[in-house]
Amino acid sequence: MSRKQPIEIFMPPNVLKAKVGGGGNGGGIDPATLARAEQAIEAMKGDFAEWVATDVEKLHTARAAFAASADKDTRDTFYRASHDLKGQGATFGYPFVARVADSLCRLLDTVAADALPSALIDAHVDAIRVILRDHVKGNASRTAAVLSQELEARVSELG
Amino acid sequence: MVGAKARTGPRQIRAAMTYRFDRLKILVVDDNPHMRKLLAAILQAAGVTQLFQAESVATAWAAFNEANPDIVFVDWMLNGPSGLELVRMIRTDAKSANPLVPVIMLTGYTQIEHVIQARDAGATEFLAKPVSAKSILARLVAVIEYPRAFVRTKYYFGPCRRRHRPGDYRGQERRSAGSEVAIDMPPKP
Repeated sequence: MSRKQPIEIFMPPNVLKAKVGGGGNGGGIDPATLARAEQAIEAMKGDFAEWVATDVEKLHTARAAFAASADKDTRDTFYRASHDLKGQGATFGYPFVARVADSLCRLLDTVAADALPSALIDAHVDAIRVILRDHVKGNASRTAAVLSQELEARVSELG
Repeated sequence: MVGAKARTGPRQIRAAMTYRFDRLKILVVDDNPHMRKLLAAILQAAGVTQLFQAESVATAWAAFNEANPDIVFVDWMLNGPSGLELVRMIRTDAKSANPLVPVIMLTGYTQIEHVIQARDAGATEFLAKPVSAKSILARLVAVIEYPRAFVRTKYYFGPCRRRHRPGDYRGQERRSAGSEVAIDMPPKP
């Protein structure tokens, strides 16, 4: 099959560079700017547990709705809640929440909606709640690692 | 540079000079209020003062065309149409305030097929969560220091999807040799 097609390539003027200046040889982050941004995150860290708790509650509610009526809307809402935790769990200091949520997303991705094993779904949701309840932050918890591994293995068996 | 590792290592950090981030208008689109709050805090700490926030494609589209931001951060998965849809609208809708604007796509997806989808929609940069102050600022620097060439074909308008910069390629040009046109300013898509 021919790949020929009209193609136009152009380099837009770098208006951003003209606006912000700075940089120098290849650019980079000014260390003071980076430090200020990291301090801003540090100042918010006290809220992270509450933020994750809100998202975990959302997951729990979405799971209940999906269990009560498994349709496209409830499945999508449940998937979105899982995906949010997968992306944000580690950002907010709970990498095991993110890891289990990742496993849950894989489960929802790989198994047809009408064949999803309820017990395995609930095991994921419960694991996430326990990790948060026990304030398992960082990557050091052996128990959380084993739990995550076990859930991932069960999902792999289905995929 | 979709999927590219940010070019900001220790050497670049040491060599950096201060950017006037206060001159930038940035739009942050995420349906999660906590994520928006975190991104806003990082960007404001870096000096950004003109910050616009939206939680859906509809509100983002309105904000984009009203504020005409210099950079857009958009989460892939939004409530309703996805962030990909917003990127396509920015790039190809006749009403777009700026089809050339750098778009940094944030996502919990990490598989290569998702990077390709974001690239094909017209994202400039791809940033997999978890995010940090360093990864956010590194993407800001990337779009400032390493602007992408743009490509227009019958089926695509957006940043060049090939990884290298124009002029880097030394081999035979196999895509429609002789039909490429280099121009200074783009016509409207």
